[in-house]
Amino acid sequence: MVKVRENEHKILLTLKRFDGKALLDQVVKETSLSDATVMKAALTLEKKKLVKVSERKKTIIELNKEGELHAERGLPERLLVNALAKLGGEASISKVVQKAELEEKFVPIALGWLRKKGWVLFDTKTGKLKLLGKVEGVDEKLLSLLKEKGKLVVEDLSSKMRSAAKILKRRKLLRVSEKKEKIIEITDEGWKALKKGVKVEVEITQLTPELIITGKWRKVKLTKFDVTAPSPTVYPAKVHPVQQIIRRIKEIFAEMGFTEIRGPIVETAFWNFDALFQPQDHPAREMHDTFYLEYPKAGKLPEKSIVEKVAKTHEDGWKTGSKGWKYRWSPEEAKRLILRTHTTATTIRYLAEHHEPPIKVFSVDRVYRNEKMNYKSLFEFHQIEGIIMDKHVTFRDLIGTLKEFYSKLGLKKVKFWPSYFPYTEPSAQSTVYIPEHKKWFELCGMGMFRPEVLKPLGIKYPVLAWGGGLERLIMLKLGLDDIRLLYKNDLGWIRRTVICQ
Amino acid sequence: MPVITLQKDRFSKFVGRSLTIDEMVKWLPWLGVDIEEVGENYVKIEFNPNRVDFSSYAGVARAFQGLIGWKVGMPEYKVHKGTIKLEVDASVNQVRPYMLSAVVKDINLDEENVKEIMEMQEDLHWGVGRDRKKAAIGVHNFDVVKPPFKYLAADPDNVRFVPLGKREKMTLREILEKHEKGIAYKHLIEWSPKYPLFIDADGNVLSMPPIINGELTKVTSETRNLLLDVTGPDFKAVKQALNVLVTALADMGGKIETVQVEYPDKTITSPDLTPQKMTLNSSYVNELLGLKLSSRKIVEYLRKCRLNAEENVDGKINVEIPAYRIDILHEVDLVEEVAIGYGYYRLKPSKPKTVTTGSLHEATRLSNVIREILVGLGFTEVMNFTLINSEVQYEKMRKKPEKTVKLANPSSSEYDVARTSLLPSLMKNLMDNKHESFPQKIFEVSDVIKVNEKMECRTERQLHLAGVSSHSTANFSEIKSTVEALLKNLGLKGWKIKPFKDSSFIDGRTAAITIKNMRIGVLGEIHPEVITNFELENPVCGFELNLEPFL
Repeated sequence: MVKVRENEHKILLTLKRFDGKALLDQVVKETSLSDATVMKAALTLEKKKLVKVSERKKTIIELNKEGELHAERGLPERLLVNALAKLGGEASISKVVQKAELEEKFVPIALGWLRKKGWVLFDTKTGKLKLLGKVEGVDEKLLSLLKEKGKLVVEDLSSKMRSAAKILKRRKLLRVSEKKEKIIEITDEGWKALKKGVKVEVEITQLTPELIITGKWRKVKLTKFDVTAPSPTVYPAKVHPVQQIIRRIKEIFAEMGFTEIRGPIVETAFWNFDALFQPQDHPAREMHDTFYLEYPKAGKLPEKSIVEKVAKTHEDGWKTGSKGWKYRWSPEEAKRLILRTHTTATTIRYLAEHHEPPIKVFSVDRVYRNEKMNYKSLFEFHQIEGIIMDKHVTFRDLIGTLKEFYSKLGLKKVKFWPSYFPYTEPSAQSTVYIPEHKKWFELCGMGMFRPEVLKPLGIKYPVLAWGGGLERLIMLKLGLDDIRLLYKNDLGWIRRTVICQ
Repeated sequence: MPVITLQKDRFSKFVGRSLTIDEMVKWLPWLGVDIEEVGENYVKIEFNPNRVDFSSYAGVARAFQGLIGWKVGMPEYKVHKGTIKLEVDASVNQVRPYMLSAVVKDINLDEENVKEIMEMQEDLHWGVGRDRKKAAIGVHNFDVVKPPFKYLAADPDNVRFVPLGKREKMTLREILEKHEKGIAYKHLIEWSPKYPLFIDADGNVLSMPPIINGELTKVTSETRNLLLDVTGPDFKAVKQALNVLVTALADMGGKIETVQVEYPDKTITSPDLTPQKMTLNSSYVNELLGLKLSSRKIVEYLRKCRLNAEENVDGKINVEIPAYRIDILHEVDLVEEVAIGYGYYRLKPSKPKTVTTGSLHEATRLSNVIREILVGLGFTEVMNFTLINSEVQYEKMRKKPEKTVKLANPSSSEYDVARTSLLPSLMKNLMDNKHESFPQKIFEVSDVIKVNEKMECRTERQLHLAGVSSHSTANFSEIKSTVEALLKNLGLKGWKIKPFKDSSFIDGRTAAITIKNMRIGVLGEIHPEVITNFELENPVCGFELNLEPFL
């Protein structure tokens, strides 16, 4: 005799009642067992060759908005044909439509179907419709069935109803969705075993408080599980992968003695550009690079003494020793509100207010550029920025600091090249060897703030600065090739992505 | 950034030595250019916009020779005195006041040179001219026109000429309306009653600055003598563009001759290649770079960057900067030249002596604590843009539009305003994740931007927290329990949950979260209409808190 466990027996008996074949859902309902328990038992039975588990597609249909409307009052052609009957079986189209109170948009459809269904004859001489018949079609039957039941499974319908479903689907009256469902079926061997009778072993799957307290657990047999059998997938809740890396980078800054600063996202052009000695006709300031605001349009400038010095520096260099840009500086242009294009706007605000050395500050924060979103660029992203202001700090110190920063990120091989940024001099670009890709990549740019930036704001000591895009670093680290994925918030991706260590 | 493709053999000719691709790839980056692409016989480089002199082979070659030490010090350009006159008529004052010019004789052009001159012109139009606004260049075949020349403003309908690349004569107005360059650049002059025109002694049109040259003076590989014109409203830019171009043409083998440019009030001999002079302090160099270089060494490194330099009696260094180096504004720019001459690759990293303790901003600290609590409560973090679509923010949430930060030039209509609340972003996230398994519990702790007329930037950045839970039995008590667990674990005191109305939530299932009678947030069951607006099927409960009071 074949040995089966209690749950397995229960399932076999249930299946027998369903003539040997039932859906997983039906078995779950009948046995009052959980999904997972039934599946586990069914799989064991399948191993014993007593049942077969298979999958089938299930197409669910329900009425959409238009479908509901027609189900409520009848299909448009039904409305017309009823109206025609009321008008004595012969009338002009416009009269019929008027009588039926049918909306304009449904008229062509209704006429088409009237003809297709052979309910009317159109007399071209008189221009009148003649009633031929009005028998309820299978499509109307399905419509009222759907109205009654809400949802139907196409595969369960008769072949007539199935073709009606096709028609209604084509008429765009249905919402269609697909699901997969599991079917459990007793095999020939299973039937044989059932005929012979099976031996039910009382085994305990779930250890209960009762079994523990009463000590009954000593007397029962605890099922030996197939420990290799698949168990349901669960996902841990987690911090967003980008945030995990931001957190690590912020920790690194803090470990290196930097203090985090935070500033406005909506910024005046003054702090974003002018204070950084970017001339007012600089290409970066144009509409196709920078987001300007339609509302509110303009902000306030800082105290006059600062504005005047910045303006003079742009115009002729003021007392900075520079030649300046030689143009007429406009306060109106500087007042315009924008979405900051770099966190340096916040840095320079901070340095304008904090003159006492030493200062070591950083930000990892949102910045904006007027870019079309595609696989390699975003209009809103994060910038990493580090700043040191102190007596006697040097360009070599900057190189050393950035090297340490990279090394804490696990990037040990770094090179520094000459480069250009409007507000730093000397400037450099760093390239970093990323072992995962076996290649060098450009990451952070860096430099010392120009005297034209420092002097007007009363900053007396050299300022070392470096910055770069966070997302580029993350893409390299996570091996992604589409930057949009980072902020798509695809739960599947977040759930699958390994926690940053 | 602008690019130039350097063919190995041609570049070698300009450098004066036979180079290999490897040598080029090794040394070029130390000039401050990026290698874009390397082919069997060429290297494509990207140069920074401040170094427009790199827009020609000659320009890169000069710097290359210096860096390796084959030729050092400032390149000398002989400017021959010419007899050509050019009159600038007072009528141009209102539209495009300045013109400078030069003649380049006996230049041996080939197809490559002609192409290079065109490309260089484009780079200068962009880099110095700001898309022809500040300066625009015309290069002409000198031999087909007759001096003296005249630059004037002409009536748009009276003058006709054949623009470059066309066969028919057109009036100035027709060019602005029909010619592709006219359409592209008409904004620079169309507001003026008269348009700029450059003509010769017989009234032949050389060009209609800054739009297009005439077909008459078209330059080909047969051309031997060139006439250059640069026009613009910005004299400095006009002069810079001319100097960069004329020196590159001289390096191609041309002989520079001056033009007498006669303004109503003065006469200028053009081009003026007088070097810029500056004084550099050795101590300034060493302080910034963190090196201990002698003045002698500094002189050597500056000369490697093709500048003239010598120590003067005060121990300072006198520097002469060639006219094509338009990027040097300040002594500090010379410090970078020293670093380049010294070699960035030789700069040893050092550690700043600055000692400080670091710390995170309060907003980060609080956000991190909140993340820990919410993840513990089974919520997964999402990160959305602060820009959002106004319909998602208001109509779909059953909210009335309010005064919001609105972009003047959004890159997409999907992101045209700044968000004032996080919940719409989260509803959108649920909509995008319908196919994922339920329950779905997500949160975001991040920025919103609100209009606040009192602020300097008339807006205020606020740190918010919001969460939503969506599954078949999501309800009020679930979200209330969640928010209470959060508030308790944050150690907050004196908070209350009170009945409240909010059009995004179901009436009677909405509550305000208050602290000391100040409302800081809302929680409840999301209104079924909102759920449908986001094409969802499961119930959703959610909350949002303003965290600013805790910062």
